[in-house]
Order: sequence, then C-alpha cells, then structure tokens
Amino acid sequence: MPAAPRLRELQRGFVDALLGRGDAAATWVDGAGLEPSARLRIYRHAVAGTLTAALRDSYPTVLALVGEAFFEAMAERYRLQHPSTCGNLQQFGGSLAGFIATMPEVRALGYLADVARLDWLRQVAALAPDAVSVSAAMGADAAAVAPDRLRVRLHPSLQRLRSDHAVLTIWHWCRMPDGPALKLEGNGEHVLLWRDGGDVAMTTVDPATFRCIEALADGRDMASACRVASEVDDGFDPEPCLRDLLAQGLIVAFIDEESGT
Amino acid sequence: MNPVLPFVQRPVPAAAGIGLRAPHIERVLAERPPVPWFEVHSENYFGAGGAMHAALERIRADYPLSLHGVGLSLGSADALDQAHLATLRRLVDRYEPALVSDHICWGAFGGAHMNELLPLPFTEEALALMVSRVSQVQEALGREFLVENVSSYLGFRDADMPESAFVAELVRRSGCGLLLDVNNIYVNSINHGFDPHDYLRAMPHASVREIHLAGFIRKGHLPVPMLIDSHSRPVADEVWALYGEALELCGAQPTLIEWDQDIPELEVLLAEAGRAEERLHACRTAIA
Repeated sequence: MPAAPRLRELQRGFVDALLGRGDAAATWVDGAGLEPSARLRIYRHAVAGTLTAALRDSYPTVLALVGEAFFEAMAERYRLQHPSTCGNLQQFGGSLAGFIATMPEVRALGYLADVARLDWLRQVAALAPDAVSVSAAMGADAAAVAPDRLRVRLHPSLQRLRSDHAVLTIWHWCRMPDGPALKLEGNGEHVLLWRDGGDVAMTTVDPATFRCIEALADGRDMASACRVASEVDDGFDPEPCLRDLLAQGLIVAFIDEESGT
Repeated sequence: MNPVLPFVQRPVPAAAGIGLRAPHIERVLAERPPVPWFEVHSENYFGAGGAMHAALERIRADYPLSLHGVGLSLGSADALDQAHLATLRRLVDRYEPALVSDHICWGAFGGAHMNELLPLPFTEEALALMVSRVSQVQEALGREFLVENVSSYLGFRDADMPESAFVAELVRRSGCGLLLDVNNIYVNSINHGFDPHDYLRAMPHASVREIHLAGFIRKGHLPVPMLIDSHSRPVADEVWALYGEALELCGAQPTLIEWDQDIPELEVLLAEAGRAEERLHACRTAIA
C-alpha cells in the first residue's frame, strides 16, 4: 500500500482526478465495496453538474442558440481548460466568450462570442455596486461648467459592448424566436447595458455616442470626450447623450476639476 | 444601499426556519409569511449591489437572518482565500446576521476551485489545519462561527479517527459553534456504514447552535447503498427520527429546512418547517 499522503498531496491528487488529469488519488480512497474510482466519479459528476449549471445561469442566450447538447459539451471542455478560480460561483465563466472565439466548431457563428459577452455583461450589471444618481437640477448646474473642466462619474452598473454583429438584435430574437424572422443586415451594434430596478436594460446607440460614453467612463473630460466622438461623427452633439444619461440615472457625479466639486 | 440606521438585533429563535432561495423572494417580500427566520447562502450576496441586496435588506429588517457559506473552503491545505473572507466580513458587517456558518470540508487547491464540499481525511494534520482556519475566521469576523458536518461519498484509507471525533474535536479545540446537519449524519451512516446514533451521542451537544434538515436521493446501479445529499426532496422518515433524538440530546435548537434543487412552492417548505416545529414543540414541552 502506498504511504499515507500529506494533506497537500492528497488534495492535489484529488483535484487532478476531478479535472481529468489522472486517478492517482484513487489509491488513497477506501473503496468499501466500490471501485475507488467509482467513488471519485460521484464527485466528478457533481462538480461538472454544478459548474455547468452556473454557466447555464450566466449564459442563457448562448444556450438558446447552440442547444443543450452542444452547450453541455462546450461547458465540459471549458471547465477543464479554465477551472473555476473562486469560491463564489457567480465569478465562474467570465472568459467563456474568449473560449468560444477559439472553438473551430462555431466559427460559422461569428456572433456567438459577442452574444456570450452580452450575457456576461448583463450579469456584471446586475451585481454591480449601488450608487445614487444625480438630479436633473445638478445636470443643469453642470452645463455651466466649462467642458474641459467637467468630468462625469457614471453609474457602476453601466456596461458597454461594441460588436461587429447585430448582437442585441440577435439577443432579443433568441428570447422570442417564434416572432418575425430575424433579418441581419450585416451592421454591427454598439450596446449599452445598465441595471434598471430589478432588471437589466439594454439599448443600442450610435457609434459617436458610444465613443463619447467610453471616453467619459475612462475618466476623460467632457471636451475631450466630445472631441473623440466627433472623430467618429463630425456632427456629434453631446447634448442628447448627456440628457439620456441623466434621464436614465446613469450619472452619479459631476466633477468640476477646478473647484474639485 | 446600506441602511442609514443599523439593523435591530434579531437572534435566531429555536424554531423552524427555511432556506430562502431566489424563486421565493418575491412572495416573501409581498406576503411576509410567518417564518421565524431565514437563512441565505452567503455567496449569493457577494455581488456588491443590485436587486438581491435590496430584497435582503428588506427581509433582514423584518426577520432574523443566518448567513450560510458554501465557498470558504476552510480545509484547503495551501491557503485560506483572504479575498473571500474579506467579502464575507463585509457581508456580515452589512447585515449583522444572527448566525454565520460554513462547512467542514475543502474545495480548492492550487487556485483551482471545485465549488463542491469535498471530504477531508480524518487525520490529525487535517484537524490541526481546520482548527487553525476556524480560529482565523472567528478572529477576522470578530464573532462565533459555526461549522457544519458534510455528507460524503468516499472515505480515505488513512484516518486517525472517525468523522464524529473529528467534528467534536474541531469544535472543542477551536471554540466554534456546531451546525449539526442531521440529514448528513444519516446519509453518511448509510454511505460509510456507521451507527448514526453513536455519531449523534459523540457530538458536543452544548455547542450546537443550529440544525439542518434536507432530503436525499438514493443512487441506483451500484453494488453498495449510496445516498446523495441532493436537497431536492422532503426530509426522509429516518431523518425525522434522528432529528427527534438530536433534540433530546441538544435541546430545542434553531432548525432549518434546506431545499436547493427542484425547488417546490413555498407552501411545501412551510409544511416541512411545520413538521420540524411539531418536534421542537414536543421538545420544549418535555423540557418544561
């Protein structure tokens, strides 16, 4: 009989067994009427079930697009190549979109990785910190500040996704596939997502507005954000962009760099 | 958002509560059923904000609350996840729960998390590690922490003691509380062939702060009996009987009905809690 393993050795071997990297741990298991490997298999199935269920919860639209059988097989490959790194299951699966992008079987579904990104960002938005939005009156005050001195702090739940595909259109179609046939015209979509009460709101915006919000989220001042947006569309007007952000409660602070308020 | 005022302290009573899961939150908020206390999985609230927290703040304002973790991985030989512990501490500070608990198990090694309650070998080495980890957690949280005995589907050849001695010694040496899962004792008694009554008698009864009850399934097509702690069924008759014994030994204790898969209507959980309450009432009456 092999020598008793130290706890570290035992746990390393056990994890290897659960990740399909070898069955050395079986020699330490008391079979008690069963093959030790059969007892380890109970845990392997339990781990697979838990992690696959977590991916199903996080990626419902990907599941709808590829179907049960493919999703299960993909989840199995993904979890073995990218084991969970956190005791909190909500964190598992953040790199699935990148994994999908490398899968030859779904190369024809060029949009699938972006649909996965959208599913994941919905979860990020849902779990983001709370924050109190500024009032419309504060928006009016901010309009008096010179744009090169004005920065805005956006709501932590606001997420962005730029896609070469009609990712939000596809997402909505997946939710109601019995509706009108999906017509994709080959244009990409710029999507904003944010928490709205108990749900996650999503909308597409024009590329210049998206670029402006991206710059503001990166901490650039209003003048700079308008400049980069104008490089996308020289007719860009920041007024509707700011108005919509305010109306949706997505601005939590205006910062006047000079006064520090 | 955090409440302006701290929560009123609400101890968990020696009555039958239920595990609060997502499908029932809306009804609980709307109808405020007369449940004596609720328990939630700590990790479900590890996100910083959002609707889950908004709901839990309302529930915590009106009901005693217990935070029950599944991901601390106390027995991992390489490291205790300090980030996980820090998030738990923030959660404890935020909600001021009456009870905080996790399991006597491990779940990660070398940065790979299995997100499963994996069995420890019942060795002096593992016991010493668990004692040290529980002490770390109690120090970090600044309060008593409860540990729960887990169900398991294998044992290791090299053990220095039976599971019951491991659990009892852990509680004695670390000074923590015990969350006694009666269903897990029964499941393990079948899976590993020990006497569940002996196990119950070996527990540190004065340290029991909470009892868990749940349903199991029988795994077929194996040459030995094997029960899986599925939390997907009503509590089995054999477990109700064992629960009665546990109450005789430990006195009336806060008791939780757990149901995590194939979650039924709230009424089914309330009826199960009612069955536990009958036994708690009998226990209180006998003591009086």
